[in-house]
Amino acid sequence: MKTSFVFSGSGGQGIMSAGITLAQAAIEMGKHATYLPEYGPEQRGGSAKCTVVISDEPIVSPLPKNCDNLIVMNEQAYAKFYEDVKAGGLLLANSCRVKNADERDDVKKILAPVDDIALELGNPKTANIVLIGILIGATGIVDKETFRQSLEEKFKDKKPGVLEMNLQALEKGIALGAE
Amino acid sequence: MSEKRFMKGNEAIAEAAVRGGCRFFAGYPITPQNEIPEYLSWRLPEVGGSYVQGESEIASVNMVYGAAAMGTRAMTSSSGPGISLKAEGISYLAAAGLPALIVNISRGGPGLGSIQPAQSDYLQATKALGHGGFHAMVFAPNSAQEAVDIVYDAWEYAERDRNPVLVLMDGCLGNIMEEVELPPMKELSDADLPDWSLTRRNGRDWQGNITPIYTEAILEGLNAMAGEMYKVWEEDDVKVEEFMVDDAEYVIVAYGIASRVSKEAVLTLRAEGYKVGLIRPITVFPFPKKSIRNLDYDRVKAIIDVEMTIPAQMREDIELQVLDRCPVYEYGRSGGVLLDDEGVLEAVRDIVTGGTF
Repeated sequence: MKTSFVFSGSGGQGIMSAGITLAQAAIEMGKHATYLPEYGPEQRGGSAKCTVVISDEPIVSPLPKNCDNLIVMNEQAYAKFYEDVKAGGLLLANSCRVKNADERDDVKKILAPVDDIALELGNPKTANIVLIGILIGATGIVDKETFRQSLEEKFKDKKPGVLEMNLQALEKGIALGAE
Repeated sequence: MSEKRFMKGNEAIAEAAVRGGCRFFAGYPITPQNEIPEYLSWRLPEVGGSYVQGESEIASVNMVYGAAAMGTRAMTSSSGPGISLKAEGISYLAAAGLPALIVNISRGGPGLGSIQPAQSDYLQATKALGHGGFHAMVFAPNSAQEAVDIVYDAWEYAERDRNPVLVLMDGCLGNIMEEVELPPMKELSDADLPDWSLTRRNGRDWQGNITPIYTEAILEGLNAMAGEMYKVWEEDDVKVEEFMVDDAEYVIVAYGIASRVSKEAVLTLRAEGYKVGLIRPITVFPFPKKSIRNLDYDRVKAIIDVEMTIPAQMREDIELQVLDRCPVYEYGRSGGVLLDDEGVLEAVRDIVTGGTF
């Protein structure tokens, strides 16, 4: 079983970080994973994309064009990649920035206001974790506990409160995704 | 003890270099290889090595020359434009008979090109890495793991031959994260120093001289010795993967990242009943001539050269072995636009189904 994910948005929205954490969690579960980032020269604001492939078998190519799951954080990313989700796949969009996602009617769609949810939780930077939570809740691609542990590892050296906020974002996302 | 980690290709190369005995790095920043110097800037001091960010590419490669002359396992890394700048120093390494590792994480070209990945430096790597008509062994791994295994042993080849070794990868493989199993640290002591090294460590006597300057008769002799060495490489050191080639009617030839996308196409087309195979050069110099020359051309209907660059650069090396016994097609993307599974599959399927590709 091989599953592909394309994450896209603008630099600073946590796109790369979301991809790495997902791939890392898959590997900790004993699966194989590749993470391939693509970006321009900008530190912030430019377009950011990463492709994650998760499989039970060793991964041959890390470069699928069409993906099983497309996760877009803004309008530009949606416009650029909506055609690339396989029929029957999942399109997950940040509805605070993607206003209109009507082009495809052959995919499962989840439109969630992840920016607003992250603000309510107290930090807009947790939007990507809400997004991953939704993905986990909706697809079960990685085990919730394993992902929680990856987050704990990732944020262990950060200021107190950062980890808790991200764990809350994860829980909120998972609950939404399961609906 | 070996250990598994989820690592970026560039960082995996850097760690494998340290474990393979590298104790000196000098380089100058350029995307998409910056994680190599960044990693080594903290890692080398941990093991008693030295890291220098040079004032330029040419200064950096000449620092590598100095360190190598002392018998230290030394390396530099860059991407296409920076490798061009290092060309003089790489040629001097070959002239002086000095081992060193050069890593090229290539990007779109020519000129400044793009910062995105491309396999645009095959010709530079295999034909003329600098002036003067020398060659380096050129390894082209296709995964972070294979890069680790090759870099770990790079100095064994370089010291054996007293010649620089090049590892040629593209920005995809430099930036991909995947699992790697890291080998144990090679424990080298002063006793392992090459006998020609200029070091006086541990009471060693001055051994002589290292120079890139010769009289004409000596230089001619050295040129001839280099020529013999390249022939020996071709006999002994070619590394190649042949995948489903035995009964193949269509054979893709691809190296590095292009070989992974091509292998995916082979698997898909085999499932559809088409007899497609893949020849993957792991050393692109020496080139795996025999694998292509000795194919049964009564069976093989076409060769397809897949590269992430336009026009294909490996094509002439392939054609010299095919010798018009079947058509050679090429497919590629270029300039920083990446190959993808669907694009390669469609191009190859078009050829095997007799389309108008």
